[in-house]
Amino acid sequence: MSKDDIRVQDIAKKTPQLYQVDPKQLVPLPYPYEDWEDPAIEPLSEKKLAGRNVGLDGVMNVSIPEPQTEAEKEEMVAKFLVGLRKLLSKDNNWTFLKPLMLSLDNCVKCNTCAEACPIYEMSGKAEIYRPLFRSDVLRRIVNKYVKPGGKLTAKFTGADIDLNWETISRMAHLAYRCNLCRRCAQTCPMGVDNGLLAREIRKLFSQELGISPQELHGDGTIKQLETGSSTGLTPPALMDLMEFAEEDLNDRTGLNIKIPFDKAGADILLIHNAGEFLSWPENLEAFAILFEIAGLSWTLSSEMVGYDSVNYGLFYDDAQYARVTLAHANVAKKLGVKKVVVGECGHAHKAIMAIGDRIWMGESNIPRESCMATMEDLIINEKVMVDPERNNFPVTTHDPCNITRSMGIIEPQRRVLRKICPQFREMTPHGVHNYCCGGGSGFAIMQSHNFPNWKFQLPGRKKFAQMLGAFTREELAPEKNKYVCAPCSNCKGQIRDLINYYDAWERCHMQYGGLVELIVNCMTDVREGFIEWDEFH
Amino acid sequence: MPTFTHGDVSIEVDEDGFMEDPESWNEEIAKALATTEGVEELSEEHWKLVNYLRDYWLKFGIAPMIRKLCKETGFPLKKVYELFPSGPAKGACKVAGLSKPTGCV
Repeated sequence: MSKDDIRVQDIAKKTPQLYQVDPKQLVPLPYPYEDWEDPAIEPLSEKKLAGRNVGLDGVMNVSIPEPQTEAEKEEMVAKFLVGLRKLLSKDNNWTFLKPLMLSLDNCVKCNTCAEACPIYEMSGKAEIYRPLFRSDVLRRIVNKYVKPGGKLTAKFTGADIDLNWETISRMAHLAYRCNLCRRCAQTCPMGVDNGLLAREIRKLFSQELGISPQELHGDGTIKQLETGSSTGLTPPALMDLMEFAEEDLNDRTGLNIKIPFDKAGADILLIHNAGEFLSWPENLEAFAILFEIAGLSWTLSSEMVGYDSVNYGLFYDDAQYARVTLAHANVAKKLGVKKVVVGECGHAHKAIMAIGDRIWMGESNIPRESCMATMEDLIINEKVMVDPERNNFPVTTHDPCNITRSMGIIEPQRRVLRKICPQFREMTPHGVHNYCCGGGSGFAIMQSHNFPNWKFQLPGRKKFAQMLGAFTREELAPEKNKYVCAPCSNCKGQIRDLINYYDAWERCHMQYGGLVELIVNCMTDVREGFIEWDEFH
Repeated sequence: MPTFTHGDVSIEVDEDGFMEDPESWNEEIAKALATTEGVEELSEEHWKLVNYLRDYWLKFGIAPMIRKLCKETGFPLKKVYELFPSGPAKGACKVAGLSKPTGCV
């Protein structure tokens, strides 16, 4: 069907696929990408599909086995309804029942949310990606199949919907066509949170039907609890890599710094996303340099889970979320630290600090702080000396949704950037109005099937357009290095992949990295050239 | 689960062509997997990289950070891409029979 014609009730249609993204209908990019042509999102072959459902838009980032018989389909629908009733009951959904009910009941269909959603906008306004489309499917199902007398009312109100296998399988896909960036929730005059609704749908599918993306579950929270990290990094491997990191730090700076581990009673337990250990060692090395030169009492943990701040449960499953955050709290409690500082990882901020408040209770109620605030204190109060001239190149910053919109941490990182980067400039819009990198809610780590093109062409496109817009035409020339600060491991992964997809190193010499690297790059106690400019960053 | 077949080699791989059972890796499998990366013949330099990754994985159950790989093999990253065009993680690790990288990497 065409992007404009699909209606909410069409979700139940017994057609193989409801919609196909057409790259020609995507919103064009600004200078110097007016001529940019995106490849089509390749349909998956029968062999690749291997009996799995892609009935929404032909794109797969969550694996949904297609039931073989009508009876199996009915069984899945019945399970879905059981799960839905649980979502709507206090005993089974004490975590999010209230905002769920408010969001289900209060929508006035003004569609203000649609204008705020980068996926809907960049798709060329394809109906299925409108935030209200997904929410209305859920709302209609609740009204018709859960509320008393709903089946009768549905016929009169015109808000009818059929609940069948097509409906629920497409709903599961729809829940994974949202970055959970909650820009829509921020703009809603009624306080409706479509992001929360998408996340509750994900939760229902994970907790009741065992359907969730491999990257988040099997290779995510399960692996983290079993090996210590979603990356599979075990404590012995961590120690080996950290020995190398100390050598590497010495090669880069000439400094001899011992990275502290498991120091009981330290003031600060710093928790990084384990992605830093494997993909961005400069980030964890920069934190070590900054904290050591500032003379802080700090430590990392080598306990299982204690060295990986990741908690993908936040994106899809309350039980998995709770298991991981409990493990984090126990590590902090055992070490007896005065506070936990969360490194440059957005969703870990929300998992450990905001949502964590419900789990880190009693003796585990250890103060938790954003590294943005820690860095602000060190720079603004001049606990380390800096020479901003070393950062005299164009710099803009991306705002990780979970740090900014979800938690309101806006100014600490900006006060640092304004002080240490003479050519700092904002993206438009920014702060709580920022756009997601397009990798939010786990999309950044979903690299299989035909999903990467979808994430680069729709949500990632909005961020890439913003990145281009932050620089003048002259600055965009490839002769000039420019830096996109992205203080979050997930966002960094996505921005790295966007730069690669859009060939933005070759075309514009656009580089990305964290905030602490910019600090260390201009610290007078560190020799010049900490940031390396190259294609293979 | 997809099966990858090349010559006498027949192994189970994941969606992205990484071995499902990394324990069963051998040199014949490496040669077969290399063809999926556009590498028809594994040179001494290819083997140096593959063996380094393999040894590290056997010891620690994971691939090392790329910077460590470059330093300890003496190959700059550019060279790694020349040897395995899809890069160290997607190319070299696959040929060395490692599992697909997971987490925020």
